[in-house]
Amino acid sequence: MDKPVLQDDQDSGFYAKHKKVYPREVHGLFASLRVIGVTVLLGFYYFVPWMYWNGKQAVLFDLPNRRFYIFDWTFWPQDFFYLAILLIIAAVALFFFTALAGRVWCGYACPQTAWTEVFLWIERKVEGSRNKQIKLDKAPLTRYKLSRKVLKHFIWISFSAWTGFTFVAYFTPVDQLASSIWNLTLGPWEWFWIVFYSFATYGNAGWMREQVCIYMCPYARFQSAMFDNNTLVISYDSVRGEPRGSRKKGIDPKSKNLGACVDCTLCVQVCPTGIDIRQGLQYQCIGCAACVDVCNEVMDKMGYSKNLVKYTTLNALDNIKTNVFRPRVVVYFVLLIALTSGLLYSMATRIPLELDVVRDRNALYRTTPLGYIENIYTLKIANKDLQDHTYVITMTAPFKSTFILRDKQVKVSANLTTNVSARIQADPVDIKAMSEKIEFQIVSINNPELNTTAKAVFLGPKPK
Amino acid sequence: MSINKFPFSAQRIISILWPSFLTAGLATILFFTAFDPQLIVAVSGFGEVSRLGGYSIGFFLFWLLTASSCSLTCFFQRPCPNATE
Ligand code: SF4
Ligand code: SF4
Repeated sequence: MDKPVLQDDQDSGFYAKHKKVYPREVHGLFASLRVIGVTVLLGFYYFVPWMYWNGKQAVLFDLPNRRFYIFDWTFWPQDFFYLAILLIIAAVALFFFTALAGRVWCGYACPQTAWTEVFLWIERKVEGSRNKQIKLDKAPLTRYKLSRKVLKHFIWISFSAWTGFTFVAYFTPVDQLASSIWNLTLGPWEWFWIVFYSFATYGNAGWMREQVCIYMCPYARFQSAMFDNNTLVISYDSVRGEPRGSRKKGIDPKSKNLGACVDCTLCVQVCPTGIDIRQGLQYQCIGCAACVDVCNEVMDKMGYSKNLVKYTTLNALDNIKTNVFRPRVVVYFVLLIALTSGLLYSMATRIPLELDVVRDRNALYRTTPLGYIENIYTLKIANKDLQDHTYVITMTAPFKSTFILRDKQVKVSANLTTNVSARIQADPVDIKAMSEKIEFQIVSINNPELNTTAKAVFLGPKPK
Repeated sequence: MSINKFPFSAQRIISILWPSFLTAGLATILFFTAFDPQLIVAVSGFGEVSRLGGYSIGFFLFWLLTASSCSLTCFFQRPCPNATE
């Protein structure tokens, strides 16, 4: 198969020395889409911890108490299954969108892109346009330069600190967090994670930027495996563009033996990863379409038709029809729908109540002074609802037996577990086997729909 | 390859710290879903540690472990002296 030609890592300046990329500001359809994407995603990120639902923080991953709250749902460590399915769905979705549309994730939705976009915006507001930034960096250190740099880093760091605070607010109730920062009573670990996340934001979005995409991102490395000739990529139409060359407006390019590319290098200047799309598809390209926007602007100005640089597929470039519904896309899609509906169904029908039965570990059974066989159990009742409940516990056994509980009704507070000790006694003559299956039932008094069962065994001596 | 010419290059350090960070994060999530840090601390008798502290320490221990294995990989990647003689 004809895979896109991907360049190897360039050895020069891995992480350490590299030429700073000054992406030029760009306007256009795809830039607007990205601004919308970034605004919506970051808006959610900063807003969600402040959202309240039924008097509680709506989304809280309460690690200290080992509970995840998402609106009316409460998840316990036992519910890890849901998280695992969610992660699988995310992975399949990534496969699906990559196979279909290439690196749309990178260009419009990746947090790295989102935060870098914000940092670039701040940089532009403080230091000015691309050319001014380059000039400023070359200039000797003056008071003006120093003030610009200090201001930029001050805003960057403040924004990062806010980001770190928000991150920890997903794990510690936000009001508590805010007040303990204010009163300087915050625990060392919360401090640590706020500083850590702030530092990561500042470093990644302020300093590392495209290097994160090029060297550190695992997705960037393996996404090419999900590409095929029908995947959307950004490409320069070299047949139309070459030979490139500058010219005056209004001159017929054919008369000068030129293609449509005016060699203005704007597509290189806007590129956040600093590559030249005219050299062909490169693995550094994050598919942000900035070069598409800017080149369309140039083509408009020149009075040429648009799309010299455009979203296209390798097949389309070879004049083969693009096939959208190919097997892998269909398979990913079906898988995605099946997993998502399965998850939604099981969440909708989930009963926020769990019953676990643990047999007494010390003895298989015991004989009471009256000659009965007795088994002892611990019933662990987990109330995963947001309200307190009182439950009635019953037991059924295939033999005549007495079920002994201290209280027939047990009250369990919201989001807590209670252990109840239970005993079952039976006359040896009634027992048919050394091991009999029994079942415990539990139902909430206030809401009979909240009920569940748990199986266990009753052990006894060999029947005579 | 340049990777062997600069044993302490930034590239090399990041290529040890970064993948180990990712895998340590994953291991931390899986491990602490199954085990409550407070119970572990109680059993091992290290005194009082909050759950958040338990998670954090657990994460760094995992990171130490995964980073060591990444460093070993890096180390063994060097050409073997005998083989090149
Ligand atoms: S922006 Fe368009 S016209 Fe300008 S150099 Fe790039 S491809 Fe050529
Ligand atoms: S080549 Fe174009 S699409 Fe790719 S990263 Fe650069 S500007 Fe974005």
